Amino acid sequence: MKYPVFLQALALTIVVFLIGMYSGIALEDSRMNQITDYQLDSEVALIDVINLDNVLSSMDVSCEELKQANFDLLDRVYEEAQVLDQYEEVQRLTKKFNSLHKKYDVLRSYLWVNAIEIKEKCGDDFNTIVYLYNNSEEDLTIKAEQNVWSKILSEVKQEKGQDVLLIPIDANTDLISLHAILSDFNVTRYPTVVVNEKTIFSELASKEEVLAVLK
Amino acid sequence: MDFLTKVFLVYSFIAFYFMFLFVLIYLKNVKKISQVPKITKEYPISFVITCYNEGESVGKAIDNLANNGYSNLKKIVVVDDCSKDNSYEIIKKYEKKYPGLVMAVQTPKNTGCAAGAKNYGSKFVTTDLIGFTDGDSFPEPGAVKSTIGFFDDLKVGAVTSTVLVKNRMNLLTRMQAIEYIVIKFTRKLLEFVGSIYVTPGPLAIYRREYFEKIGKFDDKNLTEDIEITWRMLYNGYDVKMSVPAKVYSIAPEKFKPWFRQRIRWNKGGIQCMFKYANTFGRKGMLGAFVLPFFVFSWILGAFGLVILLYRAIRTIIVRYLLTTYSVEAHTAILRMSDINLNPSILAFIGFVLLILSVTYSLIALFSIKERKEYKRPTIFTFVIFEFFYLLAYPVILVMSAFELIRGKKTWS
Repeated sequence: MKYPVFLQALALTIVVFLIGMYSGIALEDSRMNQITDYQLDSEVALIDVINLDNVLSSMDVSCEELKQANFDLLDRVYEEAQVLDQYEEVQRLTKKFNSLHKKYDVLRSYLWVNAIEIKEKCGDDFNTIVYLYNNSEEDLTIKAEQNVWSKILSEVKQEKGQDVLLIPIDANTDLISLHAILSDFNVTRYPTVVVNEKTIFSELASKEEVLAVLK
Repeated sequence: MDFLTKVFLVYSFIAFYFMFLFVLIYLKNVKKISQVPKITKEYPISFVITCYNEGESVGKAIDNLANNGYSNLKKIVVVDDCSKDNSYEIIKKYEKKYPGLVMAVQTPKNTGCAAGAKNYGSKFVTTDLIGFTDGDSFPEPGAVKSTIGFFDDLKVGAVTSTVLVKNRMNLLTRMQAIEYIVIKFTRKLLEFVGSIYVTPGPLAIYRREYFEKIGKFDDKNLTEDIEITWRMLYNGYDVKMSVPAKVYSIAPEKFKPWFRQRIRWNKGGIQCMFKYANTFGRKGMLGAFVLPFFVFSWILGAFGLVILLYRAIRTIIVRYLLTTYSVEAHTAILRMSDINLNPSILAFIGFVLLILSVTYSLIALFSIKERKEYKRPTIFTFVIFEFFYLLAYPVILVMSAFELIRGKKTWS
């Protein structure tokens, strides 16, 4: 070849690109591992909550303890899921965190059901706000609506603190348990917000409107 | 991996490739960049200066050439292309000022393009070498002499020069000054791989025998200086560049003329691509690099612009909807937690490319020494050049194609 520099540049580009891709994949994998570690801890905490649930009737366990365990786990899952969302937003090379998302969603669905049961057993002195959204929504109007809903609900949570259990769930999954619950509430579109299993917001509402239906 | 990520990676790969290509060429030839062959023979040379409504500058252009310091300069043919101002009268005065050297001629009617006037002027030249410059371009002393040594090599058909911006009075001209320096630097690097694709009008010298053999300038092409260079390569002649041969040219000072000039350059480039489309992969470096480089630049530029517009429109719609809904719902438009500070690998690649691109431009800027009256660009101008000016390239590219499709093939 008359000008080997063309091939040398190609070889250099391939090497640099491969290093870049490898670093990128390693970075994304480390983020995935971090979330997986979080989930492992959450699963242990969940089993603990289930155990606590089971022993409530037979042993000397207070409702407060059970409520607190549920609250703590949900708050923890909420924070972890936020980290997951942030990582997923910048995940480019490796597969998306679909399975990790699903795990969180099934966990939250369980905790929602658990919260309903706690209300029945121990009295409903706390609020549950279930935010059902579609994580893979393509419609820009609905995406914007979802974004605003998440801001409103996190403001409500900040204001009400431990009085509110905020449970965001990606409803666009094939989780059988979740769909069974949702059919009970007649939820047909997302985003939808279910407050205390009674009030359903299918359209965007203000923070004040949400606060007004809380206990 | 989604579609846009794949597109970004393909673009990045190509960008990295060209960056590394130029860096390697630079590193291999860093000492040769400013070198020119020694003069073993002072070939006789004549110049053609074309002029259209350049009465204000043509006199100085003639003076600069006449006093350029090359002893075997035989004739300066100044062609007035039926200017509407007093250009021809001024040229006539200079004919008297330099008797036997300057020859004032006028085209029978306006040719409507630089190629027409250049070809007309070339009829009066009989020397071994023929040079061309414009009525608003000013070769620096010694510029002609530093190109002559290249012609000892019989394969050399043309020698181009370092074209720089003379008028640097506003942001637009100062950015063009940077652009010209970067282009000049790149052109010299391309010489080392036999791929100079243009011999710009402000100062280019051709071996007359080859120039006439290949049929002079193509007056149907809007950028006759690109076209003739491609034709030189097509016919197997080498094109060289003399870095010390500096010529200062007047750049457009306002947006509209600048924009029209760029549209014309790009239209000419597209015309060349079509004219030489059948040389893809053959005819030496023309088909192996120059043509593919133009074609891919065009495709990538146009496609990139579409992607960029799509992303920009989408972002604007999302921001608009978010703001509207946030206001309706009495909530914050933007929160700190909305800002994602986790870098993606694409952001990292983009950042590295940006650094490489800035470094390349800086190397180009520091590779040239100019007289004190031509100040180095400020950091502000450089930043605007890197982040905004260069973004106009794909827009101009696409608009040029539209104009060509609509059949606008004139100079104005």
